[in-house]
Amino acid sequence: MGIYAGKLAENSYTDQGQLFKIKRFLADCSVTGQLLSLAIVIVIFAIGTGGTFLSLTNIQTIIGLAGIPMILCLGLHQIIILGAIDLSLEGIIAISAVIAGFVIKNPNTPYDLGMLVIPVTLVIGAIAGLLNGILNTKLKMPSFIATLGISWVMFGLAVFLSGGISTPLLDLRFQNFINGTTLGIPNVTYVAFVLFIVLNIIQKRTKLGKYTYAIGGDEILAAQAGINVTKTKIINFTIAGAIYGLAGLLLVARLNSSAARLGNNLLFPAMTAVAVGGVSMSGGVGGALNAVFGTIIVTALNNGMVLMHVSPYTQSAVNGIVLISAVALTIDRKKIGIIK
Amino acid sequence: MDTVIELKKATKSFPGVRALKGFDLNIYKNEILGLVGENGAGKSTLMKVLIGMYQLDEGEYLLRGQPAKMKSSNDAIKEGVGMVFQEGCMLLNMTITENLFLSNEQAFIKNGILNLSEMRNEAKTALAKVELNIDPQTPCSRLSPAQRQMVEIARLLWLSEHYGKDNPVMILDEPTTVLQQKEADTLFRILDDIKKHATIILISHRLEEVIENSDRIVVLKDGDYVTEMPADQASVEGIEELMVGRNLSGEHFRESEQREPETENFLEVRNLTIEGVFEPMSFSVKKGEILSLVGLIGSGKEELCQCLAGVRRPTGGEILINGKNVLIKSPKDSIRSRIGYIPIDRRKEGLATDFDVADNINMLILNSLKSKGFLSRFKEAANAKKWVKEALIKTPSIRTKCRNLSGGNQQKVVISKWLAAESQLLVLDHPTRGIDVGAKDEIYHRIRLLAQEGRCLIMMCDTLEEDIGLCNRMLIMKDGKLVKILNCPAAEKPEPLEILSAIV
Repeated sequence: MGIYAGKLAENSYTDQGQLFKIKRFLADCSVTGQLLSLAIVIVIFAIGTGGTFLSLTNIQTIIGLAGIPMILCLGLHQIIILGAIDLSLEGIIAISAVIAGFVIKNPNTPYDLGMLVIPVTLVIGAIAGLLNGILNTKLKMPSFIATLGISWVMFGLAVFLSGGISTPLLDLRFQNFINGTTLGIPNVTYVAFVLFIVLNIIQKRTKLGKYTYAIGGDEILAAQAGINVTKTKIINFTIAGAIYGLAGLLLVARLNSSAARLGNNLLFPAMTAVAVGGVSMSGGVGGALNAVFGTIIVTALNNGMVLMHVSPYTQSAVNGIVLISAVALTIDRKKIGIIK
Repeated sequence: MDTVIELKKATKSFPGVRALKGFDLNIYKNEILGLVGENGAGKSTLMKVLIGMYQLDEGEYLLRGQPAKMKSSNDAIKEGVGMVFQEGCMLLNMTITENLFLSNEQAFIKNGILNLSEMRNEAKTALAKVELNIDPQTPCSRLSPAQRQMVEIARLLWLSEHYGKDNPVMILDEPTTVLQQKEADTLFRILDDIKKHATIILISHRLEEVIENSDRIVVLKDGDYVTEMPADQASVEGIEELMVGRNLSGEHFRESEQREPETENFLEVRNLTIEGVFEPMSFSVKKGEILSLVGLIGSGKEELCQCLAGVRRPTGGEILINGKNVLIKSPKDSIRSRIGYIPIDRRKEGLATDFDVADNINMLILNSLKSKGFLSRFKEAANAKKWVKEALIKTPSIRTKCRNLSGGNQQKVVISKWLAAESQLLVLDHPTRGIDVGAKDEIYHRIRLLAQEGRCLIMMCDTLEEDIGLCNRMLIMKDGKLVKILNCPAAEKPEPLEILSAIV
């Protein structure tokens, strides 16, 4: 075995069959662990609920429930790959939800933008994300602080603008879409799926995607290779912000009313899904498929616990344990000098 | 022969050091140039100038006849000059293909989308040039060090071709340290082939290897060009002599202040080892003795010192202080055993640079500065003033932040901190690094005084001469083994040359 013929490399190089390609795709995405976890969750709850867990209606429920968390997780994981963190999700949802409530037909304001509300919420989220990026790169603030600060600023602004009350909507098209199904699959799942495809293409087939992984792998080396680190980071924070903005609109649509508190308690499940999906908190590892699997596992777990009448407090604790174990398994300790 | 790089009166200074002293150097097309010199001879400064990381203070750098205008290593790559660093610079979370073309993907983009199959094919061609037959989609974390090196070489070759630069210059910094002998042979065989359309600069401390594989050898010494020779006329002994080549007459290291140590042992080390890093070794240090640890990077000397300082835990063996067995598990234990550690990077590890002089000096003895259970400002100031006076620290006040002091004075603060804690054994990791000549002499004087007071010192110095000049005894390590213990009495210091052959 000279240096040019590592055994593993040699084998994989000669074998180019279709099965091999699928195997390599799975290995590339590193979701084998996630498939296994999902299998374990399914087996446990299928037995625990006497089969109810695997009924068609319940599977539809899980897929529907996973929709919005999956969208959030897809936004968040983009930042985690970068090696940074984004805690601004709840605040950005709040502001985009409240603004959406203002511009969709409602009893309190004279505006009715119709479908134009979609680009409006995307832009609101993108602006908030852009602020995250600017604070992080131009003012050199740790992403943890910058995004936490922005989250509270946005939430405060949302409560101020809405006066702290919910606004019912008069345009029912959004609610009908989000609660409807096509071919037996909830419509929200299609939205998440389209987003998954788009992010997957960005990650695998664009410069932006490659640079994001390079920065997550080693920011200093990436900069030395000539990558514009600041620009790449800002774009990613902006994309993530826009995705949270979209999620804000979907949450408004689901309840057919807007309020600042719609985003509350959504950060934790998204973060858990990112970790469970195998996106490393130390950056540079994992992709959109991991985010998808992570959300499905976490949603299935919570759904199963509800079906088995586990107490809500125990459910919290289980989720916490899952988050900690997932991070413990995926983090690259070599990269971390001092833990702050 | 055509020149590709021409340096004229190349000068580069850093605070306190003249790293390049204004010499001329020509580098030719299609040659392998071996560059040798001791640590601190200016090799790495020269390389960083060539790849644009440093700019010359004075003198000219001509690349293919034109003045070089590179501002970073990335610019240099586009000009066809690149370096494979010793520590390697590859993103391990990405594939070979991604690493090869990183930040140069423009060539593969159609409508904003990367053409992956085209990238893979191009990667295959690039890898074939360095005889690397692996799937270009392999993640780099799965490659062996040798393969990683080859990928980096392939990257440099591809880039110079991509930017239309013929005869690229490739600098390899200690390429064989991570390789097995067989792998090294293959590397040199491939380099010999690449040489047909490139220039290779080989930096290595393995002199046999340099002689065997390069066409021409240039010797650097103290930031200056000494001489050059065709490799087929060079011998290891001849080069060693040129590398050291300074006569040691005159007093450089306050040798007249050197005293014979006391008879009693302070420290005794028995069969101490870290598995896989250094083999079991035993030695002792007498009171009042200065012991130098000599060896190359990777010889295990740093790790040995870290064991004494409690930063790393040995996997076996015993450490005895004053004949009593002590267990050093953490820096705290080591302080309790009255061992002080003065690290190489005093700004990062030795000092709290945002703290003032008094806080730093008092850091280890806060308990003794209490009055009625609380820290006494008065006692703190009194102790700090005492040491500022004693160690001749030049500072406007004891409340000056340490970041504002010069390197020499910072070092004195670090030493004072340990002396205030009544350390009996000081481990000095390159105590004079980055300190100018005058302050160096003061540090030497202080080291002598400490020894005369009966303290023990274990040192690792910047140059071999410094080691020889300062120590009573020298411990030579090579590849994790204790090779030799040498006496260095003031009257008859050994020749650097005989030591050098034991180290390399």
